[in-house]
Amino acid sequence: MSAILAVTNLEKHFGGVHVTRQVNFSMQAGEQSAIIGPNGAGKSTFMNLLTGYHRCDAGKVMFEGRDITNQAPHRIARLGISRAFQVSSIFARMTVAENVRSAVHAQMRRSLSIFGAASRIGIDESGRVLALCGLEGKRDLVAGELAQGDKKRLELAIALAGKPRLLFLDEPTAGMSIDEARGTMELVDRLNRELGLTVLFTEHDMGIVFNHARKLTLMHRGEIIVQGTPEEVRANETAQKVYLGEHQI
Amino acid sequence: MISAVSAPDVRRGALARHSLSVPVAILMFVLFLLVPLLPGEFWTHVSTEVLILGLFAMSFNLLYGYMGQISFGHAAFFGVGAYASAMVFTRLKAAGGGIGMLDFLLSLLAGPPLAAVAALIVGFFCVRLTGIYFAMLTLAFGELLFYIVFSWYSFTKGDDGIQGLLPPLYFQDAVHFYYLTLAIVTLALLAMWRITESPFGYIMRTLRDNQRRAAFLGINVRLHMLINFVIAGSFAGLAGALWGPFSRSVNPGLLGWQESGVAVFMTLIGGAGSFVGPMLGSVIYTLLQAVVKMYTVYWPLTIGTIILLIVLFMPGGVLGLIEKRIKARRERDAGGREA
Amino acid sequence: MDIGPYVLQLFSGLSRAMVLFLLSAGLSLIFGVMNILNFAHATLWLLSGYITFSIFQFLGEQFGASPWLLLPAILSATSLMALIGFALERFLIRRTYDRELPEQLLLTFALVLIVGDLIKLIWGVENRRINLGVEPVEMLDTLINPYHFVIVGSGVAVAAGLWFFLHRTRFGKIVRAAVYNRNMVSALGIRIPIIYALVFAAGVALAGFAGGVFLPLLPMALGVDHDVIVQCFAVVVIGGFGSMLGTFVASIIVGVVYSFSILFWPDGALAMIFLIVIVVLIWRPWGLFGTELRY
Repeated sequence: MSAILAVTNLEKHFGGVHVTRQVNFSMQAGEQSAIIGPNGAGKSTFMNLLTGYHRCDAGKVMFEGRDITNQAPHRIARLGISRAFQVSSIFARMTVAENVRSAVHAQMRRSLSIFGAASRIGIDESGRVLALCGLEGKRDLVAGELAQGDKKRLELAIALAGKPRLLFLDEPTAGMSIDEARGTMELVDRLNRELGLTVLFTEHDMGIVFNHARKLTLMHRGEIIVQGTPEEVRANETAQKVYLGEHQI
Repeated sequence: MISAVSAPDVRRGALARHSLSVPVAILMFVLFLLVPLLPGEFWTHVSTEVLILGLFAMSFNLLYGYMGQISFGHAAFFGVGAYASAMVFTRLKAAGGGIGMLDFLLSLLAGPPLAAVAALIVGFFCVRLTGIYFAMLTLAFGELLFYIVFSWYSFTKGDDGIQGLLPPLYFQDAVHFYYLTLAIVTLALLAMWRITESPFGYIMRTLRDNQRRAAFLGINVRLHMLINFVIAGSFAGLAGALWGPFSRSVNPGLLGWQESGVAVFMTLIGGAGSFVGPMLGSVIYTLLQAVVKMYTVYWPLTIGTIILLIVLFMPGGVLGLIEKRIKARRERDAGGREA
Repeated sequence: MDIGPYVLQLFSGLSRAMVLFLLSAGLSLIFGVMNILNFAHATLWLLSGYITFSIFQFLGEQFGASPWLLLPAILSATSLMALIGFALERFLIRRTYDRELPEQLLLTFALVLIVGDLIKLIWGVENRRINLGVEPVEMLDTLINPYHFVIVGSGVAVAAGLWFFLHRTRFGKIVRAAVYNRNMVSALGIRIPIIYALVFAAGVALAGFAGGVFLPLLPMALGVDHDVIVQCFAVVVIGGFGSMLGTFVASIIVGVVYSFSILFWPDGALAMIFLIVIVVLIWRPWGLFGTELRY
């Protein structure tokens, strides 16, 4: 089984601040793993680098054997990588249905279609994604007026509409109630199991991490400290020190 | 089971937005049809101006209300369309000064394509920027085009403008020209409606709401912005093409930032949030101007104060205000029913 | 070679540059600190010109005509403009801080129309011009109006004063910090609303000073503000929003390019300016000396 994602020697600095150092990372197809680490560890920056939001200063990112280093975000998205943001990044003035529908249109490569009727294109797929994320009953609500938890579900729905093969989730359960969080992660599990969707998520909630990630990566100050199964990482002394704030690089 | 108790489903977002545009548009169309029944030529003449400038404002709103960017150079495409038509017109018209029907229609067709070319060139650079920088660059291009037209006397007659754009005899009649304008503008707006309701139109809205996210959906943001820019410029060029024969002349001022400001004002007054807002804004603006100018020379003071008040208290324009009232009424009713 | 015309254009360009600088400095400061693009800046400049004229005329009637009366006229007009600026910020501009950019722009755009017509209402349609009755001086093959020196001098003096204020005084440093990072300044316990009010008032006062100073050279006429404001935008874009040095350098560039373009391509002088603006916006949107913001 080859690596769907292979990152080598990734580096990034902002001004004089080194936020990503010599990161080597890989994922197999169908894997579901998590990146953890204290605040400021560089988890979000890492995702930004992989999805083209920031330029890398050094290193390589390979997806399904292709070099995607420093490609524009829209090109990376088209290759099958999708991403949900930490702070819900949705289209606030459009309805839930319109949000998902536009994502579907983009994935269908129909975004330049000026003659079709938007409400009649891609409705099956939109409906499927809305149902999957439990948003069917809210399809006509304006996205900006949704409750926080619903916004995150919409966030996920938009990411899923792109039919990705690799999905990045930045703190997918932040702001959700326990029930909502459990429901969201169960959905993620199902997608991983049934569709073979490769998932990488960042999380602070250790309960979620241990229940839903098969592999853990601990980052601190832009570096990968420890990698392994949740049990291995939990038992690791360095990891414990990092979380207790005693770890010095 | 994922449950989330959210507010009552009484907020039918999409329906609320569209539900106003359609009845208002139909009402306006009917009223426009009936205008020539009013006595004298004045109202017909004013309404022709309303339609032409309304089309211009609606083309502006493709960039503003739908795509979220404010352009202060949009009049440049209006002016390019006007001049392109005017120049073809003067080349086609007979030595005696008259122009044939076919040649006249041909001259009208010259406006949009040239405006589209101008929009392609200008837009190529402008879509690399957003926000205030986009506004500044569109302003700069607009002024550049203005000064080129102004100073290139041998080609454009500079400040003198191009005079004598007298339509064929049949259309010299105000009512005939009015209905021609109404027909053209209606067709143009139907096409515009189609575009705004297409997948492309909704992608524009995503660019308005969250450009970054749109890129992560796989949208080539610059390309889409450029295409919308060209479409908007073409419609502005069509409006410009109609303006020449309407006012019988064109002048460089049609390209300047003050003229761009007119489109912005109309859109603001009517409401940028609905399809038909800018046209309604044109009705209000143009009628108001015609009436105010009959009594006082201080039109800028009047419209400036109105804009000020709208910005401060009614930024959604007239249609925005009406929509808010409808929404508030619906919520009150729903709340009452639950109690 | 007869360098007369070139010298004349150079002086004319430099004094034009100084007026542009005085005007654009306020605009740049206001945008840099408050993120408000004041479309009405040149209109307020025009208003000040008219006010200065009236005060000058009034003083002349009271104390007998003398060119030296221009000084108190300018000073009182500038103070009045500062008050007007303060009032505008307090009652109008302040309400738009939490609004979208287009609405802020439209507010100041509306002020262009309102103030412009108020000028017409109060002073009518005739130009206002002051003739100081100063003899042109012969210099380098040409006759130069010595008042150009006054303008250049005051421009440089104001530039130096601004520099000193921004770099050597506590308040000035706060203002510069606010250009870079508003939230941080607020977090330091400094009250942002007061800074905004004072910066706006100061910016308008600068415009006011420029209006009075330019009066002997250029007739104040309705509509001049429309041409001038776009030149100010050009200066601020080229130099960089919020940078005084940038504004100074860009003013000189614009002023001199304009004056020399008049020699070779009279009608196209402004087209040249906008071409430069376009190039700057494409190549380096934050201007020659501006801070690189993510746009």
